[in-house]
Amino acid sequence: MPLSKKEELKLKFKALALRENVLRMVKAAGTGHMGGALSAADIVAVLYYKFMKLDPQNPGLADRDRFVLSAGHKCLILYAALAEKGYFPKEIMDSYGELDSHIPGHPSMDKLPGVEANTGSLGHGLSIAAGMAMGLKLSASPARVYTLMGDGELAEGSNWEAAAAASHHKLDNLTAIVDKNGLQIGGPSDSIMNYEPLQDRWASFGWSVRRIDGHDYPTIVQTLESLPFEKGKPSLIIADTVKSKGFPFAEGKAAYHYWKATKEELQLADEALAAARAGLEKALAEAQVKGGL
Amino acid sequence: MKQPAMLSAKAFEASEAPIKAFGEALLEAGKANPDIVVVSTDSSSGSGLSPFKAAFPERHIEFGIMEQGAVGYCAGMAAVGKIPFYAAIAPFVSARPFEMVKDDLGYMRQNVKVIGRCGGLTYSQLGPTHHSIDDFALMRTIPGLLVLNPGDPVSIRKATLALAKHSGPSYMRIGSPNMPVLYDEDLPFEIGKGILVREGHDVTLIGTGTVLCQAVKAAQLLDRKGISARVIDIHSIKPLDEDMILKAAGETGRIVTVEEHFLNGGLGSAIAQFLSQTRPTPVKMLGIDDRFASNGPYEGLLGQHGLLAEQIAASSIEFLKKKF
Ligand SMILES: Cc1ncc(C[n+]2csc(CCOP(=O)(O)OP(=O)(O)O)c2C)c(N)n1
Repeated sequence: MPLSKKEELKLKFKALALRENVLRMVKAAGTGHMGGALSAADIVAVLYYKFMKLDPQNPGLADRDRFVLSAGHKCLILYAALAEKGYFPKEIMDSYGELDSHIPGHPSMDKLPGVEANTGSLGHGLSIAAGMAMGLKLSASPARVYTLMGDGELAEGSNWEAAAAASHHKLDNLTAIVDKNGLQIGGPSDSIMNYEPLQDRWASFGWSVRRIDGHDYPTIVQTLESLPFEKGKPSLIIADTVKSKGFPFAEGKAAYHYWKATKEELQLADEALAAARAGLEKALAEAQVKGGL
Repeated sequence: MKQPAMLSAKAFEASEAPIKAFGEALLEAGKANPDIVVVSTDSSSGSGLSPFKAAFPERHIEFGIMEQGAVGYCAGMAAVGKIPFYAAIAPFVSARPFEMVKDDLGYMRQNVKVIGRCGGLTYSQLGPTHHSIDDFALMRTIPGLLVLNPGDPVSIRKATLALAKHSGPSYMRIGSPNMPVLYDEDLPFEIGKGILVREGHDVTLIGTGTVLCQAVKAAQLLDRKGISARVIDIHSIKPLDEDMILKAAGETGRIVTVEEHFLNGGLGSAIAQFLSQTRPTPVKMLGIDDRFASNGPYEGLLGQHGLLAEQIAASSIEFLKKKF
């Protein structure tokens, strides 16, 4: 089904709320892995607000869909989504960086409901997610498993062990998303360790692959709607994204992987989000959505 | 023969980032020996490799985020005569590729120097995946592999230069925040030899790495309570300076070990293992007990594990009261 204007706006407002949450947490600590959190914001918003079957009141629901954040340093976007969904009181976001905070620099299932795996060391998430997919299949559960990876992360060999096993075991309830923002810590990912042609590599490992614009809502929705892309195969989405998307002063710059925020930058970030909100309000007014959102 | 105590008269006046000290020394070593190459897995600048990279771009090799494979590449390069220094975040060059270090470097006896930076709890806010409080335990088990953990910027420089001269597999841990300078530049430094930091006769505090400075401050606090604490810096966890430890056990009777590591398998464990078989001596081990550490500011985490100077002093006083 094509995405209605109303639903698109609704999702965009959610993604904006997630970006606002990310900024709130960075303000609390003064630092944070912002770049890779924001490149994934639109996809995470669509997953949490349109596709994943979840119950924030019952985080342990047996047949819930699972989201494994393989690139654990992107945790700000996971916390942003969980807070917005009501998994925990929003005030917890203001404790980012504090001693014993429930939102550490990498996600911990011991500290927060809704976190499915203790990631942070790269290259673990795909195997964990695939194991969940396997177990759920064995239990005849309808649940789907999603995992989000960074493009730099793909250099970890463990991913390719997991990739081979996932197609071997026909895990078509598994979807991996590569947040291809093209940057890692040291600069452009393909200059650091080239993994192109990425699509062909995954396809040769037995995955059904699609490459999309990771900030285009109709495309994201349409792609996630057609899962699994092929019966009997795991699905791989390569999402072309922009690192730090939403903060123009930082977009596409490797230096904002781990943001040590200055006062001026925080000001710019506030302004960017305020402008984005005004833009969405205007679009909403123009669209004359019946009954509001 | 009486050894001089090495604590500088200017100790604690200055401080410096450990990766800066390491990076500058690495450049110096690289100038002296054209076979030295450096290996990065997407953390060149954060690991102090920038000065070397700027001077010798063709001897700086970037692999992206593939720590396990990088250790094998290092072994291969060493097998044909290169001297790789491989530096990255401590857990990702120790626990992550442990078997590659054990087999390809240890068992194959390859001349590769693995540097774990931001070790111990220093990557405090990033949580247990980024803490490295098991690396001594892991690395100590590998026959023939050096395990170093220098405790101030001067000794980091000296350790780096000593590693460059040493032939064989090695692991060195360094921390992240600025460390106080404890020693003068003319510090004698030898792999396998401890440093007598200050004299004392009631108890010996044996510190290492990032918490050596806490042990020194603890000894200063104990002074005020009329307790004379010797301080020894064991920067070389393996091989251990058995003579210096034995002497301290004999002369002060009690030993307190201070390390940013699990109590299981760390420096205290190595010392207790040695002393129990040579000169049974009461040892109080300070470190991280059998649980994952939390997250938050570095000093906060040190405090949760009793590793701040005041806590070390208090634990030492309690320990001295105890009858054995
Ligand atoms: C095993 C491991 N090695 C190194 C790191 C340090 N690290 C954290 S993020 C990062 C770069 C990740 O780049 P990418 O996967 O492209 O993520 P993104 O750019 O989307 O943030 C690195 C090297 C880590 N967390 N885990």
